[in-house]
Amino acid sequence: MNVHELPMILFTILAQMSVGAFVVLGIIQIVAARRFGSAAIDKVTDPALFAIGPVMVLGLIVSMFHMNDLTNTLNVLRHFDSSWLTREIVFGSAFAGLGFVFAFLQWKKWGSTRQRQALALVTAAVGLMLVTSMSMIYYSLITVPAWHTLATPAQFFTTTFLLGALAVGAALMGTVMWRIKVAARAGTAAADTEGVVDPDSRKLLTSILKGIGIAAVVLLGVEFIIIALHISNLAGGGAVAGESVAVFSGGWFIARLVLVFLGAGLLSVFVYRYASSSKMARPLAILATSAFALVLAGEFIGRSQFYGSMFRIGM
Amino acid sequence: METKDVEPAVDGGVSRRSVLKWSAAVGGGAALVGTGVYAGVLPGIGSENAVALSPAAEDKIVWSSCNVNCGSRCPLRMVVKDGQITRVLPDDTGDDAIGTQQIRACVRGRSIRHRIYNPDRLKSPMRRRPGTKRGAGQWDEITWEEAFDEIAATMTRLIRDHGNESIYLNYGTGTLGGTITRSWPPIDTPVARLMNCVGGYLNHYGDYSSAQIAGAAGYHYGGWIGSNSFDDVKNSQLQVMFGNNPLETRMSGGGETFVTQQTKKLYNVRTIVIDPRYSETAQGIGDLWIAPKPGTDAALVAAIAHVMISQNLQDQDFLDTYCQGFDEDHMPDGVPPGNSYRSYIMGLGPDGIEKTPKWASAITGVPTSTLIQLGREIGQARPVHITQGWGPQRHANGENQARAIFTLAAMTGSVGVPGGGTGEREGSFGLPMANPFVSENPVETAISVFSWTDAIEHGPEMTALRDGVRGKDKLDTGIKMVWQYAGNALTNQHGDINRTVALLEDDSLCEMIVVIDNQMTVSARYADILLPDVSNAEQLDVIQQGSAGNMGYAIVADQAIEPLYNCKTIYEMMTEIARRLGVEREFTEGKTQEDWVRQVIDESRAEIPDLPSFEDLREMGVWKVKGESYIGLADFRGDPVANPLGTESGKIEIFSKPLWEISKTWELPEGDRITALPEHLSTWEGAEEARTNDAFPLQVIGHHFKQRTHSTYGNVDWMKEAHPQVVWINPMDAEVRGVVNDDLVEVFNDRGRLRLPARVTPRIAPGVLSVPQGAWFKPDADGVDMGGSVNTLTSWHPSPIAKGNAQHTTLAQLRKA
Amino acid sequence: MEKLGFSFDQTLCNGCKACSIACKDKHDLPVGITWRRVAEYAGGTWQQDGDTFVPNVFSYFTSMSCNHCEDPICVKVCPTTAMHVGEDGIVSIDEDKCVGCRYCEWACPYSAPQFNPGTGHMSKCDMCADYRAEGEDPACVAACPSRALGWGPIDDLRAKHGTLAGVEPLPDPALTRPRLVIIPHRDAQMTGHGTGAIVNPEEL
Repeated sequence: MNVHELPMILFTILAQMSVGAFVVLGIIQIVAARRFGSAAIDKVTDPALFAIGPVMVLGLIVSMFHMNDLTNTLNVLRHFDSSWLTREIVFGSAFAGLGFVFAFLQWKKWGSTRQRQALALVTAAVGLMLVTSMSMIYYSLITVPAWHTLATPAQFFTTTFLLGALAVGAALMGTVMWRIKVAARAGTAAADTEGVVDPDSRKLLTSILKGIGIAAVVLLGVEFIIIALHISNLAGGGAVAGESVAVFSGGWFIARLVLVFLGAGLLSVFVYRYASSSKMARPLAILATSAFALVLAGEFIGRSQFYGSMFRIGM
Repeated sequence: METKDVEPAVDGGVSRRSVLKWSAAVGGGAALVGTGVYAGVLPGIGSENAVALSPAAEDKIVWSSCNVNCGSRCPLRMVVKDGQITRVLPDDTGDDAIGTQQIRACVRGRSIRHRIYNPDRLKSPMRRRPGTKRGAGQWDEITWEEAFDEIAATMTRLIRDHGNESIYLNYGTGTLGGTITRSWPPIDTPVARLMNCVGGYLNHYGDYSSAQIAGAAGYHYGGWIGSNSFDDVKNSQLQVMFGNNPLETRMSGGGETFVTQQTKKLYNVRTIVIDPRYSETAQGIGDLWIAPKPGTDAALVAAIAHVMISQNLQDQDFLDTYCQGFDEDHMPDGVPPGNSYRSYIMGLGPDGIEKTPKWASAITGVPTSTLIQLGREIGQARPVHITQGWGPQRHANGENQARAIFTLAAMTGSVGVPGGGTGEREGSFGLPMANPFVSENPVETAISVFSWTDAIEHGPEMTALRDGVRGKDKLDTGIKMVWQYAGNALTNQHGDINRTVALLEDDSLCEMIVVIDNQMTVSARYADILLPDVSNAEQLDVIQQGSAGNMGYAIVADQAIEPLYNCKTIYEMMTEIARRLGVEREFTEGKTQEDWVRQVIDESRAEIPDLPSFEDLREMGVWKVKGESYIGLADFRGDPVANPLGTESGKIEIFSKPLWEISKTWELPEGDRITALPEHLSTWEGAEEARTNDAFPLQVIGHHFKQRTHSTYGNVDWMKEAHPQVVWINPMDAEVRGVVNDDLVEVFNDRGRLRLPARVTPRIAPGVLSVPQGAWFKPDADGVDMGGSVNTLTSWHPSPIAKGNAQHTTLAQLRKA
Repeated sequence: MEKLGFSFDQTLCNGCKACSIACKDKHDLPVGITWRRVAEYAGGTWQQDGDTFVPNVFSYFTSMSCNHCEDPICVKVCPTTAMHVGEDGIVSIDEDKCVGCRYCEWACPYSAPQFNPGTGHMSKCDMCADYRAEGEDPACVAACPSRALGWGPIDDLRAKHGTLAGVEPLPDPALTRPRLVIIPHRDAQMTGHGTGAIVNPEEL
């Protein structure tokens, strides 16, 4: 497994997860607002929202380890008109900044809902531009066949939404478990879901988790198709591409497939089933978190292999 | 002899100011970054630093040179700042035409800064710690006085007790071409001059490069002649190179790489390269590559001869007039019929075997059809420029291999004419420089260069008939003291390193080993006394030329920097010891090193009137003249009666009566043979044995490698990075052993084992490995040589006639490590 | 201003690497940083017939540094503009700007930009700008014992030697449009049609 690019692996995964989670939360707002009202949604989703900013910042900090002279860091903003790397940094910083502003406004409930929604929309758009820039960094390298393929943006966006959705699912159930724990310690209410979550929120939670389960399974399918197409494409793509193909085999590759399959596939199915049952907070939380963790591990291996597949044309 | 103006070459480039002086070209002026050039601690990199390193007005540029044993000597311009060499610049005199070319140093000379400032530099005199084994690496620093006193006292004692023949000067070619800084030939060295002041030393004959061919040439031509120079190939219809690889073994841009490439480019004479490796020469200038098994050239030549005789393509007139022994009509008296070369080839000799292409194909591995084609092509071309490198002769049957190729040259009638050659190695034009520093050795007794280990082990048992002792019927004493000046044959370049090390570890046999070097070489590890020499950049000398086609040149290599550490010049060391032995006056004749250099130039001007004065030469650095192409035996060809050869018959002796005699009188190990004709001999660990030896089925050769000149430069980091040590193996042989390119492998036989990466390449014949010779022996705790020195595998077994090193006759096995 | 480039004659190169070491000596490059490198591309087969063998083998060397491309991908991807093109077409690195992200190293098909762990910056060939300013040849060109290397205005080099730059193991010149002219070895294989392989990858 390639860990030479650890900063890049962590940065791209964390950033994509952050964007994905933000977008997923936005979708939840839009889809569920009519039925449940934005206040109810906010109550469920705000803790997850507040977690995105720090994760994104963590990602940006990690990415700095990829650079070797931090004293010159600001220079990376100089080449916006040509370098996707500059664009990535610009959009990454903008996303983190806007995300923080939005979260702050959301926390303080400053501004109207519509204004905040508009800001969220801009933030999401910037986030998607970030993922686009990120993928273009690699896609635009015409000298690296394993990267200069549509599989790169496709994979990056799939990772974005897959990890985003599962992260949100895990965060929501984590919040519930945390509230149960707090309630139990205080002894003020029955230490179960019904005690800490009102029925509306519970319904909302159930719907969200079901949606996440479905989305994860669909994205899983997409990911498998991307992997298959990518490998067959590389296999017929000449000597250098052929060297890259070799990376997508062996123990780590299988481990990645198994992890993603187990996590996103099986567990999402269970999440979907258990989500209907109101009494199953603990197993549901464990399932949602496990699904997230397994897919995260799988994506980590996948991203590492993505960097490992870097074989360049020429000498 | 014509003197050419020296002008910088024009090779592309824009509007260059051709005579721009560095001193006028002030760049930057920023201070040099640090003084940490020592021990590989180098200043920063990058263009900024490069600008800072650009010579400023106060910088010196000093002419120096690279004086290793590659055949060439390359002038170098040392940029010196604050007493340190900060950059090495190439020759900028002359042009790109053959005869007036710039002598551009090869990769090694360009890395010399990392050899001069090498962490392995010896810094102080040292003595092996009492009670420790030789090679244990335990040293005590001593003063120069202690070192000189001990050496002088030991010499005095040994000469008194055992005589001068107990002191031996081992072969060493680490510094060549200078007058004082000359480690070879032994008689020319300052050590020899010292020894000759006190009664002399045990001589050796031959050298590790060319023992067998030189021995063979003595019998065949009456001495070393040299084939025509490479620039003369322009007059040839065909060039044939047997194991001759100037593009690797003569890499200087003033030397044979340049000459052969340019000659090929300008005249495009068809060139056949015969070598088990698809050498750089085959790749660069070869039109046809023939890949016989190592040690089968005489069989290959026999097949060619068979084709030529069968089709009557040989130059019969030449053979009748100039040669002895080609056919039955031209044999010496007293030899029974059936012993001519023709009889041998046609199956009319004692063995009764006709040396058909089919017969040869089974030995050489070259198909019959190829051999027939080769025979026709060589037979029909006139003149043919035939040369051989030192590879074919560095075998157990090396003398016959060399003579077979000489014989082929004779059959083509190309000897002594422009475009032809003698079948020896190429000659070159040379300046007749004087060398007043050389003295005579009162001792005449000599052993072969390769038998010094025998002489340590059992010297008094060595005889003329069994061991090739010359000047005496037998040795009176074993070797009790060895001088090793700028050489690595004490272990690394000798055969069977493990056995040699075991011999040296017993200090009851050889009582004192003095190593004079500027690096902690493998040989230096086995010294009793280590004397740290300066590099040639730290002293003045005049460098006589190296091999360069038809160009002659001389270099005044000036002192660029002060001696590093506590190092001294060889001249000072020998002077100090001479003083202790009471012969300082005889040794120095009252002269300094510079006095000797001046005298060399002054005396040389008698023979070379155009040679500039010392002062002018010092300023010019290098002086070049375009000379004549070298045509070996032109005078003999012109008039064989007036200019007879030094052989018994005065002719080229394809049949050698002296060899016929010694084949009957010399005592040889079982299986070894001496033949009067250049027959193919099937030997121990030869190509035939490889086919039946299940344990060690692979033939091992050791080609000369770009990283090093023999072992010199083998410890330079840049060189090890540029040309890492690997073992070459054919894909067929690799596949059955499960080896892929770059795998770490072990190569081993009964004598030793080495570990190094495999270079799986179709550029080497199946059944053959090549471990580039000269890598530094580096045994691990289990005795596995991690340095990959081929001599961990080679043997002490000498060749039959010259008693030379047969290092390419080696069998081994290879497996994945 | 005339744009500069290199010419390289494969028929003369014996792979000695004097070019490479002269460059390292001039720029004081440590082990691990080699602005001019030499690849050996080789291939072919042996035919066995009983005890005899017939080779059909080829091999040739390619000495390669920065080619100061007309479409320099290193400059395009550099986020800092540290990698830049001069008026003479020479691509060089401004270390004061470089952040050491190594993106150019990923991109360049000639491995021209090389990371220097000592400074944390990229480093590369500038065709010996200081030597050229003084009227001298670049160190590698002046070093070549075989006279295989040349330099000058690329238009002149192309007029003299042709426009070939796509020889294995070099990349398709369409990628970056190198200012490079190759005089091919007799066995040189065109890029994309190679049957051999780089046999000395550890040296590159």
